[in-house]
Amino acid sequence: MKFVDEFRDAELGRVLAGQIAAAVEPGRHYKLMEVCGGHTHTIYKYGVDDLLPANVELVHGPGCPVCVIPMGRVDDAIAVAREPGVIFTCFGDMMRVPGGHGTLLEAKAEGADVRMVYSPLDALRIARENPEREVVFFAIGFETTAPSTALTLMRAKREGIPNFSVFCNHVTIVPPLRALLESPDLRLDGFIGPGHVSTVVGARPFAFIPADYGKPIVVSGFEPLDVLQSVHMILRQLVEGRCEVENQYARVVPYDGNMAALRVLAEVFELRPHFEWRGLGFISHSALRLSAAYAGLDAERRFRVPGVRVADPKACQCGEVLKGVIKPWECKVFGTACTPERPIGTCMVSSEGACAAYYNFGRFAREREVV
Amino acid sequence: MSDLGGCASEHCITCSDEGVPMRVLEPGTDGIAVCAGEDDAPCDVLVDLVGTVASGDTLLVHAGVALLRLEEGALR
Repeated sequence: MKFVDEFRDAELGRVLAGQIAAAVEPGRHYKLMEVCGGHTHTIYKYGVDDLLPANVELVHGPGCPVCVIPMGRVDDAIAVAREPGVIFTCFGDMMRVPGGHGTLLEAKAEGADVRMVYSPLDALRIARENPEREVVFFAIGFETTAPSTALTLMRAKREGIPNFSVFCNHVTIVPPLRALLESPDLRLDGFIGPGHVSTVVGARPFAFIPADYGKPIVVSGFEPLDVLQSVHMILRQLVEGRCEVENQYARVVPYDGNMAALRVLAEVFELRPHFEWRGLGFISHSALRLSAAYAGLDAERRFRVPGVRVADPKACQCGEVLKGVIKPWECKVFGTACTPERPIGTCMVSSEGACAAYYNFGRFAREREVV
Repeated sequence: MSDLGGCASEHCITCSDEGVPMRVLEPGTDGIAVCAGEDDAPCDVLVDLVGTVASGDTLLVHAGVALLRLEEGALR
């Protein structure tokens, strides 16, 4: 059971579902948060929640970096993209995220040179090929994508490429989890922990969750049986009165993380004093910026960035969705004014966003229930 | 979604928190290897974090960087 097919076996899924049903205490409600957008996607795509007892509720956390990017940062990106001579590069989904003044895709339609890339290395290649232009990479993601940005910056510095810079929006996973645990409007019983973030940081950083808050967390893989097994492991901890960090995804995640990647991150980045998260507000030490040694490659120093805070549209309830306070379908504009084709909120943009995942997969199961 | 500027696959490298198993086709030089996933075209991958690689090695790649080496058989 190491790779893909074994983790999608329907018969094993039914066995696990039976074990979960046997583990829960009747009359008790269990509220578990999956931190990662990848887990949310799996849950809706494979109907994992349909296999769970009615008293086991999964809520969707803030683990999609596109979904938590505030509108003001999108406007900052568009301002940089519109600077004369700039080639602005970013991952695909980011191009469709609405800011207060449109999207990067709309800026591209209006003449800005915005290009989709699959890695920061692609952006660096564009910089080499266009020495007369300024090439900016929109860096986004948790600790999983941060190493790729860091290694690219190290390479750019080593090669002395003067026309490359990074607009850094990397965030870190632990501070928002702590913020959620401090939130009075969200009572959680346990966490399905982020698998690939843990490939870099390990499972160790999550020890504060059982230690400080008395909640179990199980670092989980992304196949449907991974998620089901993780739910079962959390429930067993709760039933047995245990509270600890467990690693369901041990086939990939080392408990102490990837030390080489952590050293690279420590060299290239430093923590911002605070950073705004959509739906969660400002969280201290929750994001990265370029360290002093790499300040010359920082787009926020090289270009004028407005830095204006933009309020979310009144109709949009991404904040409540990201905190797990409401379900996607409980948002007033879900599936009507806000769809994947014409998103209002970030959760509908990314395929891993809770709203898009539910729109694409979960709503059909819900419609079947109604019938 | 590709026509809208999204990722070619249903998982987005930015937000899915997804690592993709890839096989090394050419170890290359200067920390860059040519790798390919199960159904993907070859692409450049930074291998600084996993040390020396050889043709046929299987790596877990995220946003163009190999984060760790996988066991034989991870990619079919």
